[in-house]
Amino acid sequence: MSKEVSFDGRVAIVTGAGQGLGRSHALLLASRGAKVVVNDLGGSTAGEGKSSETADLVVEEIKQAGAEAVANYDSVEDGDAIVRTAMDTWGRVDIVINNAGILRDKSFKNMTDADWDIIFRVHSYGAYKVTKAAWPIMTEQGYGRILFTTSSAGIYGNFGQTNYGSAKLSLVGFANTLSLEGQRKNVLVNTIAPFAASRLTEGLLPPAVFDSLKPEYVSPIVAYLCSEENDTTGGVYEVGGGFYSGLRWERTKGKTFRLGRNVSPDDIRSNWKQINDFTEADHISSVMESLGPIIENVEAGPTKGGNEFIDADEALGSKYPDYVSSYDEGDLALYALGVGAAKDPNDEEALRLVYESHGGGMKALPTFAVIPGTNAILGFAKEGISPPGLNYGLDRLLHGEQYIELVRPLPLRATLTTRAVVKDIWDKGKGALVVTALDSYDEDGDLLIKSEMTAFIRGAGGWGGERGPSADVNVPPSRAPDVVVEDAIPQNQALLYRLSGDWNPLHADPAMAKAFGFERPILHGLCTFGYAGRRVLEHFAPAGNPDFFKSIKVRFADNVYPGDTLVTEMWKESDQRIVFRCKVKERDSVVISNAAIELFEELPKPKEKKPTVASDAVEGDAADAAVEVTSADIIAAIDHYLKENPAVAEKAQTVFQLKLSDPDSLWTIDLKTGSAGAGETAKPDATLQLAEESYVALQKGEADPMKLFSTGKLKIAGDMMSVNKIEALSEMPFDLVLEKAAARAGGAAPAAPVAAPQSREPLAPKLFEALGKRLEEQPGLANEVGAVLQFYVRDPDSKWVVDLKHQPPALKMGETDGATTTITLDDAELAELSSGETTTQSLFQRGRLRIDGDMQPAHRLNFLKGLI
Amino acid sequence: MGRKVNVIGVGMVKFAKPGQSEDYNVMAAKAIKAALADGSVEYGDVEQAVAGYVFGDSTCGQRAVYDVGLTGIPVYNVNNNCSTGSSALMLAKQMVEGGIVECALAVGFEQRQKGALGSAWNDRPNPLELHVKMMNDAQGFTSAPPAAQMFGGAGREYRWKYGAKRETFAKVNVKARQHAAKNPYALFRDPLSVEEILASPEVFDPLTRYQCCPPTCGAAAAIVCSDDFAKKKGISNPVYIAGQTMRTDYGTSFSDSMIKMVGFDMAKNAAQAVYEESGVGPEDVDVVELHDCFTTNEILTYEALGLCGEGEAEKFIEDGDNTYGGKFVTNPSGGLLSKGHPLGATGLAQCTELVWHLRGQAEDRQVEGARVALQHNLGLGGGAVVTMNRCDGGMSGREENRNRRRPEAGAGPPSGAAPGHPWEAARRHHRELDRHRLPENHDRRGGAARRAFEGRSAAPFSEPGRLARWGDRAPGR
Repeated sequence: MSKEVSFDGRVAIVTGAGQGLGRSHALLLASRGAKVVVNDLGGSTAGEGKSSETADLVVEEIKQAGAEAVANYDSVEDGDAIVRTAMDTWGRVDIVINNAGILRDKSFKNMTDADWDIIFRVHSYGAYKVTKAAWPIMTEQGYGRILFTTSSAGIYGNFGQTNYGSAKLSLVGFANTLSLEGQRKNVLVNTIAPFAASRLTEGLLPPAVFDSLKPEYVSPIVAYLCSEENDTTGGVYEVGGGFYSGLRWERTKGKTFRLGRNVSPDDIRSNWKQINDFTEADHISSVMESLGPIIENVEAGPTKGGNEFIDADEALGSKYPDYVSSYDEGDLALYALGVGAAKDPNDEEALRLVYESHGGGMKALPTFAVIPGTNAILGFAKEGISPPGLNYGLDRLLHGEQYIELVRPLPLRATLTTRAVVKDIWDKGKGALVVTALDSYDEDGDLLIKSEMTAFIRGAGGWGGERGPSADVNVPPSRAPDVVVEDAIPQNQALLYRLSGDWNPLHADPAMAKAFGFERPILHGLCTFGYAGRRVLEHFAPAGNPDFFKSIKVRFADNVYPGDTLVTEMWKESDQRIVFRCKVKERDSVVISNAAIELFEELPKPKEKKPTVASDAVEGDAADAAVEVTSADIIAAIDHYLKENPAVAEKAQTVFQLKLSDPDSLWTIDLKTGSAGAGETAKPDATLQLAEESYVALQKGEADPMKLFSTGKLKIAGDMMSVNKIEALSEMPFDLVLEKAAARAGGAAPAAPVAAPQSREPLAPKLFEALGKRLEEQPGLANEVGAVLQFYVRDPDSKWVVDLKHQPPALKMGETDGATTTITLDDAELAELSSGETTTQSLFQRGRLRIDGDMQPAHRLNFLKGLI
Repeated sequence: MGRKVNVIGVGMVKFAKPGQSEDYNVMAAKAIKAALADGSVEYGDVEQAVAGYVFGDSTCGQRAVYDVGLTGIPVYNVNNNCSTGSSALMLAKQMVEGGIVECALAVGFEQRQKGALGSAWNDRPNPLELHVKMMNDAQGFTSAPPAAQMFGGAGREYRWKYGAKRETFAKVNVKARQHAAKNPYALFRDPLSVEEILASPEVFDPLTRYQCCPPTCGAAAAIVCSDDFAKKKGISNPVYIAGQTMRTDYGTSFSDSMIKMVGFDMAKNAAQAVYEESGVGPEDVDVVELHDCFTTNEILTYEALGLCGEGEAEKFIEDGDNTYGGKFVTNPSGGLLSKGHPLGATGLAQCTELVWHLRGQAEDRQVEGARVALQHNLGLGGGAVVTMNRCDGGMSGREENRNRRRPEAGAGPPSGAAPGHPWEAARRHHRELDRHRLPENHDRRGGAARRAFEGRSAAPFSEPGRLARWGDRAPGR
């Protein structure tokens, strides 16, 4: 920045330059080389009178200092004459500073037409006339700088200045458009809102303040904006008393109602806060930007409707955060007892549902499949997580229908990830139905449970939306039921059932139940559901084996009280479908209707175990002891695998030469033709040299190729980068190798070396719980980080928000819109970070940790270390 | 110091996707003929030729020039990975510089197979194995294309170090496409938005597919000569090479930084040497063609060339300093990203583009008044060639260039003057003013006034007399 801002060769017009701000602008520009037309009418602050004296004084002052200036005494309303002075004297105009102004302050009550008109004539029309006259000259020469003078009195309002304020703000609008029209011609237009002591403000301010508000504090920004160096146009600046600042428009995110919907004044009222919420505002700088949300709304198409309780547009398709839960035999037993199983402890069949060491093997009661989903929903409700657009309280919600389907029988223990989405919303007139689909996936990411929960929302319908399917399904036939079972529900049944997760006090607390309008605590609808499901399976599943269960669907019709006698009537419609209905005997009221259970025709196959590497040393050794795996087995397996899966080679198109030592052997893995075998190949893409032992370990997944390579145990010749193509073989099941080994040893295939995969406990919940505790102990941690971190943990998925920006620091499950930084990584990686095995930077560089948003906070994740 | 070397003829063919191009010798011959015509040079005047290409058997260079003439001159084949084209140019330039020849030809071409870069020789050490070893230590291998892993990894390191947003990398290609839209020689001329670029398939974070230059075939050529030779051809103000340096890897390439592994220090040191040799610094440069094989490398190169400070590229882009109206126009051709990257031809295509700008022949995309042009061409393995081209002729010289006969064979953009970018007009205007500006040491008018203003600005209003006078003059109150 060696060169000074200068105006050599430039011609500037400054209106109202006889005194105050205008004079100061003129002197500064002249001192930097500009030739200045000093315009001043020489009138009073109120715009009366006329004199050449003030302008002459300034011209003389400039000339005495060795620069050029010429005086002009015309009114700005005669802008042509002012510009003509410049052209006549120097033949050009580069800068116009519209500064001239007068005041006619009056309260609005006392304002006359004359007061109003003269203010507009001088400020608005005057600025127009001068600028209009200079415009063709500037656009023609491809250079110009124009400055307008607005006022805080217009931007914010000032008592007694309705005329002045509105005229002044009109200049901002003028400049906004003019800056657009001038940009292509290098004519730049800016506006200042100065606060300076001048004739116009004199008398309003005490002398000390008056002195600190010298015009000389305003002129520097005027000079810069009018300089060649400046490339800003369309700016508004508030300046004065040594303060220089930019000003812009701000607009709230606002509230958008989808089109095609009546927007009522009540809608405006209920969204008033959002309409006025500036916490995350936009700064609009063009008409196109201004139109953005409108265009978006038009493109979004017509509404699906809604009202104050339900906004179908927002809610439909919205997803809950992933919910991870685990259960084991204890949870299954507690549930079974909760729905009245094993009342007779000597009943062998019933005992299977609650006793983990049962001789015939424990069985999960299939209706337990409803638990992960309902617990997910209840968990979210507890945390206050609800999908956008669903704005009703739990008091309006009734459990309407429930559907569950199992892909295969429930295992005795599992960690499930449940994903919930708002699937359908129906307008039933008085009320509305909200259908939430919940799918639960097992540790391998395979779907296990599909379910749909239909909630009836009282009083939330009637927006004229679709009614949805209305056909009555699962209607019992007119004949007498094939089977009828009676169950006396024990008085304490709800107290037992709630231990499976639904802790709603309505089912336990007599006072609370009364408050809800019930004479005493009622039984959970899903408890009745469990009773009925269990009874249907007892009577219709082949050999009473609950594993035949495929699906269940019910509609909840009325309440059941503990102590009631539940009558379940069943009709066998086919071998695979049983329609049923539940009544309360005492009141003869139907409590579950339109219900059916479907059975599998054949027992579904238990899930195939995923091919796993021998990660468990003990089991691995046991397998090895049976048949030792050699490189020959591996190559034979690869050959077999490649021939069965030609696509693998088709994609890889790479030939490897394998040179093993101890004992020495030579192999070719040809991922071009799709074969593997002993011997040398003419044209390998890469040659791998390593010990037999290392190769077998590598194939078992016990050794890390990167480690072998970097410690020199694996040598690669040829195209090093082609080595990653060997990943193509990673899908080959290790069982295949064992088969080949067994075949070579002359025996049958040994058992798979590994039993069920050791499901690692997800770390995220523990880690973040520990973090929460640490934050309580050390709230100062937030100051070190100063950011809102959104964590997306995968495998199993979970989402966490760690707010280390605000005090007190906060931690919650779920998502936020206000994240500073988003960090995505695997649960396992989180473990490595926590144990200090690796660093955030290393994970990031390796692509195992993704960072979006501000990178800086990612440098400060040390607090994760040593949490567990 | 050797003799001044001029670039009097340039030419290129429009690049094409693999499988859609003509054969290498056909493309090369067209480029050579275009360059000869452009410089009004007969092939018989060419005393030696250097031919650059990466993929192909030995002596493809001879095969290519034989289609233009069989004059028995020496032909050298050059192979320097992605910096091959400018390596050929540098050898030809050195022949003239050292007084060995009066006129030499540099030609570069590439006929590629489909797919990302790979190795053709698998029974011997890979020349990039030191680089790969370094990368493995820093970030491991993945199945992504190797070059993307290297430049993408450098991008990750850059993000970590300076906190650059993913969008910033995408913006490089937004700009490349905007520039390419005006270049009839560019292969990809449709505009792309940041969103589209980020939504394209991820290749190696932060690189998405639209942030990787496409495999391309093509050819470009340049004729270099001495002042005497140019004069004989009646060219008085040719574009000349004011400085040129090649640098290969330093130890820092194999230490712990992906940014350095992909050639940051090579480029930085080469640029420094060129600035010293040519006597012009980055601040004097008007237009730049640089090696944007991946968006990440364009960002690294801004900093290596000193176009902005280290870690400042994001702001540099935000400020629009890499395009028309900003401090520099980088890759007005659309760069490797949009124009394509035929390895052997790239360096000479960059040279061609810059010569067009210096002569005022770049049509719609002309950087107005360009007088100083910087070229950066990088190959992994490695080599960075940085070149400073200038044209001093002033308006008259450039006018002469502008009026020269337009080369045939599709070389040179279609004519038909379109108005330049509005900012360019302003810039030109300022340059005119510059020219008429008084020397720095001249005591400018207003100097005394300035001193007077500053000298008493402390207290104009504290003089009681003035206040009183103003007070008198407020009859309205």
